Formats: sequence, C-alpha cells, structure tokens
Amino acid sequence: MTAAIAARPASRFRVRPRPRFTELVLLAIVAVALVVGAVSLGATEQLRAATEAGKAVRRLDFLPPDPQGLLVYLLGLAAVHAGFVLAGRRTDQVLLPTVGMLGGIGLLLMQRLPQNLVVQSFGSAELGLGQLQLAWLLVALAVVGVLGLAVRSDTWLRTYKYTWAAAGIGLLLLVFVFGSEVNGARLSLSIGPVTGQPSELLKVILVVFLAAYLSENRALLAEESTRIGPVRLPPLPYLAPMVVMWAIALGIVVVQRDLGAALLFFAIFLSLLYIATGRPSYVVLGLLLFAGGAIVLYSLFGHVQARVDNWLDPWRDPQGAGFQVVQALYAFGRGGILGVGLGAGLPTIGGRLPIPAVHSDYPLAALGEELGLVGLLALLGLYLVVVSRGLRIAAASHDDFRSLLAAGLALVVGIQAFIIAAGNLKLIPLTGITLPFISYGGSSLLANAVVVGLLIALSDRGIEPPPAPRDRKRHLPRLSRLRRARVAP
Amino acid sequence: MDGFLLTLWIIRILFLLLIYLFLYAVVRVLLRDLRAAARGPAELGRLVVLASPRGEPQPGGSYPLDAVTTLGRDVNNGVVLDDPYASGEHAVLTFRGRNWYIEDLASTNGTYVNGIPVEGLGPLGFGDEIQVGEIRFRLDRGRS
Amino acid sequence: MSSAAPGGIRGLRRRRSRAIKANVFRTGVAVIAGFAVLAVGAGWWQVVEAERLATAADNPAVIAVARRALRGEIVDRNGAWLARSDRDQNGEALRRYRDDTISQVVGYASRKYGTAGLERTFNAQLLGLSGADPLGGLAGKFLPAQDRRLGLQLSLDLRLQRAAVRGLGNDIGAVVMLDPVTGEILALASTPVYDASAIADPATATRTFEALQADEDRPLLPRATLGRYVPGSVFKIVTGIAGLDTGAITPATTFQQQPAAEEDGLLVDGFRIRDGHHPMTGDTALDMAEATEVSCNIWYALAGLAIGGDRLVDEASKLGFGSAIPFDLPTAVSSVTSGDGRMPGGFSDDAELASAAFGQGETFVTPLQMALVAAAVANDGVLMRPHVVTALTGDGPGARAIGPETWRRVMSPDDARALQAAMEQAVEGDLGRLFTAGAAVPGVPTAGKSGTAELGGKGEPHSWFIGFAPVENPQVAIAVLVERGGRGGERAAPLAGALMERYFELYGTP
Repeated sequence: MTAAIAARPASRFRVRPRPRFTELVLLAIVAVALVVGAVSLGATEQLRAATEAGKAVRRLDFLPPDPQGLLVYLLGLAAVHAGFVLAGRRTDQVLLPTVGMLGGIGLLLMQRLPQNLVVQSFGSAELGLGQLQLAWLLVALAVVGVLGLAVRSDTWLRTYKYTWAAAGIGLLLLVFVFGSEVNGARLSLSIGPVTGQPSELLKVILVVFLAAYLSENRALLAEESTRIGPVRLPPLPYLAPMVVMWAIALGIVVVQRDLGAALLFFAIFLSLLYIATGRPSYVVLGLLLFAGGAIVLYSLFGHVQARVDNWLDPWRDPQGAGFQVVQALYAFGRGGILGVGLGAGLPTIGGRLPIPAVHSDYPLAALGEELGLVGLLALLGLYLVVVSRGLRIAAASHDDFRSLLAAGLALVVGIQAFIIAAGNLKLIPLTGITLPFISYGGSSLLANAVVVGLLIALSDRGIEPPPAPRDRKRHLPRLSRLRRARVAP
Repeated sequence: MDGFLLTLWIIRILFLLLIYLFLYAVVRVLLRDLRAAARGPAELGRLVVLASPRGEPQPGGSYPLDAVTTLGRDVNNGVVLDDPYASGEHAVLTFRGRNWYIEDLASTNGTYVNGIPVEGLGPLGFGDEIQVGEIRFRLDRGRS
Repeated sequence: MSSAAPGGIRGLRRRRSRAIKANVFRTGVAVIAGFAVLAVGAGWWQVVEAERLATAADNPAVIAVARRALRGEIVDRNGAWLARSDRDQNGEALRRYRDDTISQVVGYASRKYGTAGLERTFNAQLLGLSGADPLGGLAGKFLPAQDRRLGLQLSLDLRLQRAAVRGLGNDIGAVVMLDPVTGEILALASTPVYDASAIADPATATRTFEALQADEDRPLLPRATLGRYVPGSVFKIVTGIAGLDTGAITPATTFQQQPAAEEDGLLVDGFRIRDGHHPMTGDTALDMAEATEVSCNIWYALAGLAIGGDRLVDEASKLGFGSAIPFDLPTAVSSVTSGDGRMPGGFSDDAELASAAFGQGETFVTPLQMALVAAAVANDGVLMRPHVVTALTGDGPGARAIGPETWRRVMSPDDARALQAAMEQAVEGDLGRLFTAGAAVPGVPTAGKSGTAELGGKGEPHSWFIGFAPVENPQVAIAVLVERGGRGGERAAPLAGALMERYFELYGTP
C-alpha cells in the first residue's frame, strides 16, 4: 500500500501571540509598588524641604521626584512584556517582573541620592545619577527583550566554547593594559565617553565556557578520578583547565586587586563543578585551595591585608580606613525593623552623605536604613526568586549544557548578590562588585541583563502543539488495522 | 503635622506591603509550577526502538513521550537519531486532544508509518510502526 | 565504557540528567542557606545591635541631634546646676558649665571635639536618644517628637568639690570623697582643672582645646579615676585587709625579729627594708595597730611574706584591683604587681612582695581605688559600688533613680573593726599624730593612714592620705593624693582633715 495519507499541508509551527497573564499581573503589582514608593519619596523630600525652611507642611503633594523617569521605566517594562506576548514563546513569566521590581527599587534609590554623585555630559546635556541609571536600565531592558525573543538555540554558545574563553582572556588583558584605576582597583575601561567594567561581562563568558566544557567532559569527570590518598581529584588532564581557572582568579586579585570578581569566579567554578559531577570532594578540595590561596594572599599583599583587617575591626580606625564600614553599620542600626522611610535616611555629615560610594558599593546599607529589616528581607527574597527560577530552568532541561548554563547564570546573579550583601553586612570583607540591578553601573546592568535575557530564552518550554484538527472524521481508518508493510533494513 | 506624618508612614508601609504582595504572588506561581512538575507528566505514550543499526538510539530501548517530541539527528532533538538518512530535524510526534500525530518536517528521505510515507501531518495509533532512515520505532501506550 | 552502560548513551544521558537535577537542587538549598545567613546578619545589625549603633557618638544622626537638641541638665546633690544648655543667637544649642572645678567629672560636650566625662557616658540619655529599640521607635515614628531627653542628678556636692580644688591649689593631685555606706561620690576633684565651657563654645573651642592638649601638666587627665600612682604606706591597709581576711595575721600578731631589724633594716632577698620610727618605738615588738600607727615597713613586709603573693593579689582583687572599677566614668586598673614574675601572684621575688606589702613595690593605684579601700574598712567590710549619678530625671523613657548597690564583702565585720581601730590610732594616737598631722577633725573621731610614696631618684615623693570619719558610723571616706607633695603628713593629711571638717560643717557633726 503506497497510498499517501491525505493530510493537511505541512504546517510549520508558527509563533503567534500568546497572552502572558501571570507576567501581566506581576508587572501590574510592580508598577503600583513603584508608584507608591515614588510618591513616598516625593512626600519625604517635601517634608525635608519644609523642615529645613522651618515651615510646617499643610498639604500633601502626591508627586514623585521624577515622575517622567518612572513612567518611562514602566513603559519600558510594558514594551518588553508586549514583545514577549507578540513573540508567543512559552518562556518564564516571573523573571521579567522580578528584575523589573529590583531595577525599579534601584532607580528610586538613585533618584533619591544626590544627583551630582555621578555626572556625565553628552554634548550640551548633563545627566545626573538618576537619569544615567534610568538610561542604563532602559538599555538593559532592551537587551533582556532582544535576547528573550531572539535566542532560539544555544548551539552558538555551546560549539564555540574555546572562542569564548579566548575572548574572555582577551578582555582581561585589555583591561590590564588599557584599564584605569579606580579606588586602587584596575577595573574600568573607557571607550569615548562611556566607562565600563569588562569584568562584569567576563562572568557571563566564564559561565558559558564552563557549562560547555563541563557538559562535554561530564562523564569522565564524574566517573573517573585520580586518587591521591583518600582524596579524589578530577582526572589530571581535565584538571588542567580548571587549575588554570583558579590561577586566573588569583591573578585577578593580584593584578587587578578585584577581590570580589575573583571570589565570584571561583565560587561559580566550584558550584558548576559540583553540579556537573556531583562529587562533594571536589568542592572540599576547591575550598581548601581557596583557603590556602587566601592565606597566601593575605600574608603577601598589603591591600588584601588592609581589607581583611578593616573587616575584622573597623572601629580601630573609625575616622579613617574603617569609616565606610562603620557608617554603613550605623545606617543599618538606624533603620531598625521598619526603616526610616525612603528618602529619610542617610543623615549628612557636613553636607555630604555619610557613606562614601553608597550608590555603587553600599546600596544595601542605604536600603536597609530606609526600608528597614522588613524591606531588606524582601530584597533578599527577590534575589532568591531569580536564582530559584534559574535553577528550575536548569533542572527542567533535558540537556546537560542547557542545565549547566541555566544554573550557572542563575548562580552568577545569586552569588554576586550574596557577596556584596555579605560585605555590606560585615559578614565578609567588602569587595568592589555591584549589587545586581540595584547598584549604579552600566556594565553591571548590561551584564546582568544578558544573564536574565539568556535565562528567559533558555526557559522556552517548546512549541505548543497546535489544536487538534477539526475534520478528524475525514481521515482514513486507523493505520493499525491495515497490513503493515515492512521495509527491509 | 501629625496627620501628614501619619499619612506619610501609611504610604511607606504600603510600599513595603506591596513588595511583599509581589513576593507572595511569585511564590504562588513557583509552588504551582512545582506541584505541576511533581505530578509529573502523565505518560502519553512511549516510543519503543525496534531496529537501530548504528546503536543510537539503543535498540530495544523505550522512551517516554511528551506532548511534543522531535526526532532527528541534531543533538537538541527529544530523540536523537544516528542515521545517515535522517535529517537534522526529521519529524515531530505530537499529542493533540486525544490522539497522536506525526509530522514530517520536510526531511530529505521522508518518514514512513507502517510503510506508508507521511506527507505533512498524519494520525498515529498505538502499535503503529514509524521508520526514519534505517531506524524503526513503535508507538506504545504510556506506562503510568 | 559508555556504550556498555544499560540504555545506551541516551539512557546514560538520562541518568546524568537526573543526577544534574539532584545536584541543582542541592545547590539551590545551599544558596537558600547562604541567604538565610544574610538574613540573620541583617537581623543582627538592625535589631540586636540597633540601639548601640543608633546611639554611638560618631553616628551622624546622633551628631545631628546633638547640634539641634538641648541636652539634659546636670545638677549636684542639692540641686545646684552644674551643666545646662541654652540656645544662642543662631538657635543652636550652647552648653555651659558652672565652673572649672567639675570639669573632670562632668566633662564637656563639644561639636568638634565630641564628648568626655559624664557627658560622654550618658550622651544618649542626655540627648533623649536612649530607648531607641526598634519597636519602641515605631511609636516615636507616628507621634510627634517628644522631649525624651533626661537630666542627671549627681551625688556630688559642689561646695565640697570647690573646697577640694581650692585646697589642692597650685599642686597637681586628686581628691575622692564618698559616703562609705551608700557608695555615693561626694567629691571627685583633679587638678589642674580646665574650663569646659570654653571647649563647648564653638567660638573658643579650637583654641582652648589645642592649648590644653599642649599643656605639659595634662589638665584633661582626670587623675582621680585615671591616674596611676605608687601608693606608699596607704597600701598597708590593703595588706592589713589581706592578712586579716586570710588569717595570716591577727590584730595581735607581732614579729620577733622586727625590733632588732629596725637597727640595720630587714634583709629580704638581698634587699634592705628600713624604717624611720626606731627612735620612737625602741625595742617593743609592735602589733598591728601600733605598726599602723607608726607606719612600720618591716612589720608589714613580714606580714606580706606571711600572706604570700597569690593571696595578696587575690584579696586585693576583691577590693577592685586587677580590673577596671565599674563606675560611671572610665577608670584605670590598679595593680599590685605587674604580674610578669614567676612567683605566686606574679611577683618576681620575695623582695618585691615585701616591698609591695608596705607600698613600694611595682604597685600602681588610682585615688578612687584607695578611697574604696578606706570605704570598705569604714563600712565594716562591705564595699559598696561607687557611683556619682543618683538619678536620671525627666519625662522620657529610662528615667529612674539609681540607689546604693552592694558590690562585695571584703572581710568580716570583726576584722574591719580591728582595722578601724588601727587606723584611728594612726590619726588620733600620740605617735600617729606625728605622721598624720592635721588629719584629725576637731571634735570628730577620725581614722586614716598617711602615705609617702618614694619614687626613687631625686624629687619629692607623692603625698597620700586615706581615711574616714567618724570612726563609729562613718559618714565620709576620703583619699587625697598630692603629686610630689612631700611626706604624707605634709600636704595630703592636713588637706584631708580640712575637707572632712568642711563636710561636717555642711552636714552637721554627729
């Protein structure tokens, strides 16, 4: 029987608009929350102005400090949402609102701080802190949107892993040679008017490389091992690239004096190694290496020593080296459980903010003071949401590379947030990395936007099956009743 | 002054409450997803490998099928076929409504159901044999 | 290898995928645990440590409040004001102090130079910042800012304080007067004094403070509580307390070798201990009261050797030696010995122990500590906790009275009475009068001990006196130190007597 089966013409599964109700509802809550926050900020500033002028406030002006900026931001979120709806991919609906909430809180914080902390002029226009953050946020949202829409397959990430690694090392060298020192750390690279921190993008490249490398060599790493006494090491030929990773991390600390990035890279490396192989002994070994490296660095390098000593006892020099740490702790203490209110914290010392570099290094202290313990816990919860969605995407993927990539991207955000939060809270020494989506910093926002965009793209649950054809009855009877012809193998 | 301060604090606490409302909504979504995942996809069907000369997929093996399962040589497919006659994305098995369907994705050498070539989309029943290149499968009922 | 695994590569991949899933889950748990640690850390700083952080002196919020807010008033025991705040023409708070005699106790509150003294210890309460617990602060957020500042009532008597400073005159020294029954400090004077109002006034602050810091006499040092000096013979009372309490000596103890040793001095480990009273006492072996009356070094040296180093240090620590005395102001630690030696108690050898026993070892004491020694003896062996603040006054939270508090029992009442008798003899006795001339208050039985702290080398020794009056039911205990004042009887003893006399003038003789 060679009768062809009469069928509908082959239909490619075409994408078409799908409503994303969950995302819509969550974004609505975000919008309302941010508007309320902005209103409270405006009212607080009104109160402060009145108190300084010595006048009593009679009427409440429900006006946020920068309503246009907030509106533009919300429109940006809506635009990305609309883009996702139109594209119709079945991707994660929680990540965009969560990131929108975090970015919005960061925007409110930047609007609340003195605008002259960071000023950049573009031609005749001079943009202050809040506006610059808004601009970067919009670019970041665009990146999230583009990646979430356009990335359909991860082949290009998976196949060229050594190219990515080379690009990463090239970036590192570029910063080493051409970078400029800020606060004793050589982190930034200037291209024209824009300054960036390439190490932020480096962490994404690192995750891609590690995910590809580990997924490819997973069997060998997990099942074979070199035994040295009771300790299990990964098989030596495969150990080499990983030791190179460790050495690079140490190198970053030594050369660039970027303790935070080194810590982040090493933590991601260990986590992905564990996820790929499941061997706790590798993690233990890694931690020992870290401890050993840390001790060596501490005894050899003055700047490491200074950081650690300052962390252990900032009150030894509360007006000098320990000033930032001490003032941040005071901010947390002033906040208490409910905080003092958005815009009402950070009492000035001699007209300046009490915490130096609060917009990049210590945003958590400012938010802790103004939103209190309650607000701080909510923020930590938001980061956990991002991490958990990412890990869930990793767990749901059938493919090793995709799992590792998603897990690595999720951990990048989570571990970075952990490191900076722990530094702010004096649980570990302060490092120079940024709080994702909240700290001021274009390169940080962009890199984290790439992470989130990729996560959304990876969460695609596949093409939805089109609805069942209506004219079923016109089909031939079920094939199982026909004689089956065998084709010779 | 009192009234103003009171109103201001109500707004501030409202802000915090809204952030928690957001978290609550998100947690509900997360739990819903977890419960759906825990329930596990009901097995709609299984694909049993009857013949596989190159060993990939394993002859005799059987794979649980999702609502949409792609077959082909590309490593991103649900079932990866190691056969020179198979295209990168060769065919897709879908479960719609209450029936199984197979669609040939314009492959070079075609897909055959019980020896009959599939043009575009065609229905599939339990017990039917599918042939891609030199690999043969059979669609079986789900196990759960 | 992999093809031998059941299920083929596909099956292996499935198993590995499952394993990845489990690892991802475990990593997720680790991340949650990490964030839980962050939450605990945040809770630590924002709840547990909140009050300490929110009221710290260099917290900008505290500084801001200090600029605007009027500080609470500080008054003496009779209600005379000692420190108060007014608004100057700019509307900012200006702190003024009664006079310079109270500076080292009350301290200063200056915008530029921070706080010192009681102004520092009670900074939060004076500004109305205390009680800033996170939940209590909630009520404060909704209600208008109330006046929560508190004032301090001191047990200090301004008149006695002024008399003490006047009595010290141009000399550098310290006076501590307290009520031995309650532990309340009546006078706490240190010279040289300084003008705290000049530091508090922003117009004159810098000039004044820099001059004070450059002054070689160090007027900013509160010598009564932070100055450490060789005690000389006043330390014999400590040895006496230690000896009686451990039973190493009794009031009737005599040492056979003591009269003979008066000639050439007592040899201990090659070190010769000498006395100056041999012409007066002749060949009699002295008991405790007599030894105290003539301030016999040899008797006390032998007593110290009988007590032993570790017991001497232990007994002294009951009096407050070895750690900072809990007080409303910072106190220095008085020590019997530096503790580096290898003999029991930390002494290097018997010679040091013997010397310490009569007050010339590696011993350093603060005037406050010696006043407490006198108070312990006076109060029948019960040492009360010294305090100068008797009440926090005002409407704010935390207003309360601070009453007398028993610190510890140092010795039995019988032992105390024996020492009281000995110290009375040292002041009122025929021979004693020669050493403590001027200490006896006319009409009031007085007890005490003078001390001459030899410093070695050239220069006058420190002049010391500790004592109390009246012997029965004592009302006042005193310690006087005059740096380089000569013999105890030269400066310290007459000053103590004059001050105690002034006390009875003001409060009535018993």
